[in-house]
Amino acid sequence: MHDPSSQSRLEHEQPLDARLDARAQTQPGIEFASPEEMLRHDAATTPPPPGLEPRVRESLAREAPALRSWWRRLLGR
Amino acid sequence: MTAAASPPAAAPTPAAPGFDDDAFAQVYTENVQAVYYLALRLLGNSAQAEDAAHDVFVRAYRSWDRFRREASVRTWLYRITLNLCQNLQRSWHQRHILTGLDDSLYENPSPGAPSPLRVLETRELGQRIQQTLEALPEEYRLLLLLVADEKLSYQEVAGLTGQTTDAVRGKLHRARRAFATAFARTA
Repeated sequence: MHDPSSQSRLEHEQPLDARLDARAQTQPGIEFASPEEMLRHDAATTPPPPGLEPRVRESLAREAPALRSWWRRLLGR
Repeated sequence: MTAAASPPAAAPTPAAPGFDDDAFAQVYTENVQAVYYLALRLLGNSAQAEDAAHDVFVRAYRSWDRFRREASVRTWLYRITLNLCQNLQRSWHQRHILTGLDDSLYENPSPGAPSPLRVLETRELGQRIQQTLEALPEEYRLLLLLVADEKLSYQEVAGLTGQTTDAVRGKLHRARRAFATAFARTA
């Protein structure tokens, strides 16, 4: 029979890293405490498309040709 | 014109109002991901979100010298994003977004809605989040997206959504429950 108290003791005796590693292996996936936390994770892992920056750069260059330099600096040119 | 003839007030300074190269570059790099994400989750389409984010920064660039800095840059950009997205949604007549609205989610969210939210497979998380948001009333969707941005205060969220901070707090509680219920249905 499984003894929950022995499991609990075992977990507390292990170093934190080992407990986290074991948890990651036995419980795949991610747990979010709130919708906002989930949305923050989603936002952080959703980069803008690579085509956006050149489009904006081109549009702003047409807006003000004399003020292009910030894009060059941004791109290291 | 000699240097002595130049009025001191005309001397350019980095803090002077108006366009400043490095300042706008910083605005772009610090906000592009947040602006794109907000547009993506409001519009539900990556191509349209890219178009919207592009237009946000072009509009911001045009009105940069009129930006009064009474609000934070993030709030200002979000306001432009919301206006743009709402105009786009109106013009598209909500052909796709509102059709999936489920009234039961906000009228009677299940009291035992799962919390915390657990996902086993993160690969399709974005798709599930999109489905969930689209099932919510627009007000809840917007509230959750704005509150999720830690750079915004409740007061700023209230300003962007046109309500009091107390109203934001009250609706946020219901929005969380509705989200959790709707998210569970996407599994």
